[in-house]
Amino acid sequence: MATHSVDIAQSPPAVTIDGCNSIPALFWQRVNGLGSRTAIREKDFGIWNEYSWQDYGDYARRAGLGLMALGLERGHICSIAAEVCKEWLFADLGIVCAGGVTNGVYPTDAANQVEYLVNDSETRFYFAEDEEQLDKILAVRERTPSLQKIIIFDMEGLRSLDDDMCISFEQLLALGDEYGKAHPTAFEDAISAAGPEDLLTLTYTSGTTGPPKGAMISQRNMMYMMITLQRVYGIRDTDEQVGFLPLAHVAGRMFYTFGSIEACSIINLVEDMETVFENQQEVAPTIHFAVPRVWEKQYSTVSIKLKDATALGRLAYRLALGIGKRAGSYRKAGQAVPLLLRLGFFIAEWMALRNIRRFLGIDSCRWLSTAAAPIAPELIDWYWSLGKPMYEVYGQTECAGIITANAQGGVRLGSVGRPVADAQVRLSDDGELLLRSPGVIQGYWRKGDQTAETFQQGWLYTGDVGRIDEDGYVYVLDRIKDIIITAGGKNITPSEIENQLKFSPFISDAVVVGDGRAYLTCLVMIDQDNVTKFAQDKNVPFTNYTSLCHTDEVQALIWGEIEAVNARFARVETIKKFRLIDQLLDPEDEELTPTMKLKRKVVNEKYAELINEMY
Amino acid sequence: MANNDRPVLELTNVETYYGPIMAIRGVSLKVREGEISVLLGANGAGKTTVLKTISGAMEPQKGKIIFRGREIQGLDPDRTARLGIAHVPEGREVFPFLTVAENLRMGAFSRSDKQVDADLDMVYGYFPALKDKLHQKAAWLSGGQQQMLAIGRALMLRPSMMLLDEPSLGLSPRLVAEIGEIVQRVNRERQMTILLVEQNARLALDIGHYGYVMEVGRIVMEDSCARLKEATDIQEFYLGMKDQGVRGRRRWKQRKTWR
Repeated sequence: MATHSVDIAQSPPAVTIDGCNSIPALFWQRVNGLGSRTAIREKDFGIWNEYSWQDYGDYARRAGLGLMALGLERGHICSIAAEVCKEWLFADLGIVCAGGVTNGVYPTDAANQVEYLVNDSETRFYFAEDEEQLDKILAVRERTPSLQKIIIFDMEGLRSLDDDMCISFEQLLALGDEYGKAHPTAFEDAISAAGPEDLLTLTYTSGTTGPPKGAMISQRNMMYMMITLQRVYGIRDTDEQVGFLPLAHVAGRMFYTFGSIEACSIINLVEDMETVFENQQEVAPTIHFAVPRVWEKQYSTVSIKLKDATALGRLAYRLALGIGKRAGSYRKAGQAVPLLLRLGFFIAEWMALRNIRRFLGIDSCRWLSTAAAPIAPELIDWYWSLGKPMYEVYGQTECAGIITANAQGGVRLGSVGRPVADAQVRLSDDGELLLRSPGVIQGYWRKGDQTAETFQQGWLYTGDVGRIDEDGYVYVLDRIKDIIITAGGKNITPSEIENQLKFSPFISDAVVVGDGRAYLTCLVMIDQDNVTKFAQDKNVPFTNYTSLCHTDEVQALIWGEIEAVNARFARVETIKKFRLIDQLLDPEDEELTPTMKLKRKVVNEKYAELINEMY
Repeated sequence: MANNDRPVLELTNVETYYGPIMAIRGVSLKVREGEISVLLGANGAGKTTVLKTISGAMEPQKGKIIFRGREIQGLDPDRTARLGIAHVPEGREVFPFLTVAENLRMGAFSRSDKQVDADLDMVYGYFPALKDKLHQKAAWLSGGQQQMLAIGRALMLRPSMMLLDEPSLGLSPRLVAEIGEIVQRVNRERQMTILLVEQNARLALDIGHYGYVMEVGRIVMEDSCARLKEATDIQEFYLGMKDQGVRGRRRWKQRKTWR
């Protein structure tokens, strides 16, 4: 177990892990101390390859030296556009140790977004995963004056590439070897030169208004977050994670890269985004963090499978889940489960629950966790009923990750938990959640106005409205800008309704509309797999996605799901009409975030006509 | 062009299995009177299975096939043939040891009218090459001639609808064009409704009126052939046209969206 110290009396706060006050120093200590122990596994062509801490360090060192050879200086920005892969981690640590700053680019970002990110961050070195990512940056490089070099991870199909600006990752490593011979202490010198207030990473977040802003996460911010992860979750050096979330998101970097360095745990990187489900079953992770979309999908997969089960199977599931729910209610409160119920739960596990957990690849998990978007409390409860603790936590990129957490022994469904150690949460007069912790960043990269707006007198203004109960549990109601005020003057928090809608296996995402209108309506994106199956089972004829959306049966199905949700809300909060988004959307479409969630603002604008039809 | 009111053939939610494997997963489509409808798709998408299911060579597990107002799913092939559906199978499947003339007469096997001989002349009109080889065994014909024979044999049924399974398979470009022309002529001159399965998307979209795209047993896109030709996914994945990108040699593929 690592030793931690956090001193918030100092200004700036002092944070150390095992005596180190920067990530490069800690990483290097791990590499030297753990040597041949496994740090990373990655599946490639069907085989799980292992990389030790020594390998991790070697690759990072060579990449870092290679960047120095190309002229990287302290504070230079390097961007990485790739799906989660080992090279991402190697390059990231190489950059950070050499004194650079890493900025993650989503592989789904379009060329014009890449152009903006490179220019806004003043990226000098750009890591592109493959041909596809390379083409995007090449298409805009005429207009990105800061760009010096493009480094390509996967050269498949690029053998004949002849371009002065592009080199392969292998070539970068070779440059590093050469540079290392000429400057044997350069890398270690750079590591010792890293200070706690140095910039570690830029993480772009989409703002309320205007283009994305680069959140400046410092070494100290992330060190504090690594300690927080350990305090909240208790991560062991034997723990295994599955890496599938994008590393451009703060959650991915926090859990996979930096959390693993703190805890000396193993990260298993999936072969491909299409194989996440299978890979997770193979790895059987012991700890698992995912975003609500993933948890919703798992739940809906199980509920659809159940419809095909025998009557006996369904009965077993219902009974087992009922027992699981009762046992879960004790566990959530941190109380011992009564003996009889424990016995019942044992049988329930044997009857059904264990098989479901194995099927989902979560059977070996000590805990599950969710954050990054709102989730229905019922869904969290379902996982508790299966026999797995699920902790909802809350945070923002602007506080480097987590600020409140539901932790062992004190879970309140619907809340995002209590502030973590050394962090404070309070409400402004308008009910906005304000945060303070050693994780709160210094501001947005070169955006003084927005920084001044968001960070005031040491408090981070979250843009979320919430409440805090008498025991200090925080409840997040919605984004302030998303609150709907109907024509009747009633305030409505749409995400609460949307979470309930998304709980339906047939609804992938929904956007509730009604600001300034007489009643609420919503736009729904269906879950293609499950609705297709429904249509086939019911003999509903359709050809493609659009015609599927327009069938009477699917319309009736979704309306039924909406009515079921309506029954749980007050009359003014009920949805009177809906429309389906009848185009199959892809993460590359502007309506969706990289994690396949609808963007409210874009949807409202793009489907204005569809919305107007409902009024 | 599109005549929505009168589908000759309508499939709703047809599912067909090869043993435990679901080859077509709920296919619904319409073929309208007098039109050439085309069914595009990669190998293994289930196109041939759709045709076999219509003609009765395979039985659907689920779904309805309505031909001229009558449910025909599960009927044996000889019954569907008598109802006027002629299936020209993939790979021609002519009777190799029968002569050309015998093969053609086999097409009229179920007919008892007196016009069979006249129809033979009609077939020779479309395919003069066959007339020269009347008494040769079908096995000795070239691939193109065998394809003509297979189509000719189907015409001998005097069908009201033809199912053509990859008539261009394995033919030289010139013959492909020739077969394409004949299919169009048959459609025009005999008001023949045709459901055409093709790998040669360019040919199919050129001669077809309405098209469906299949992927792994499902229809993912439908539209008039003119509009399909303009769709970016079709251009990239079926017509081999793509934006070459900044380097002039793009290998990676766009994600298919079928819109």
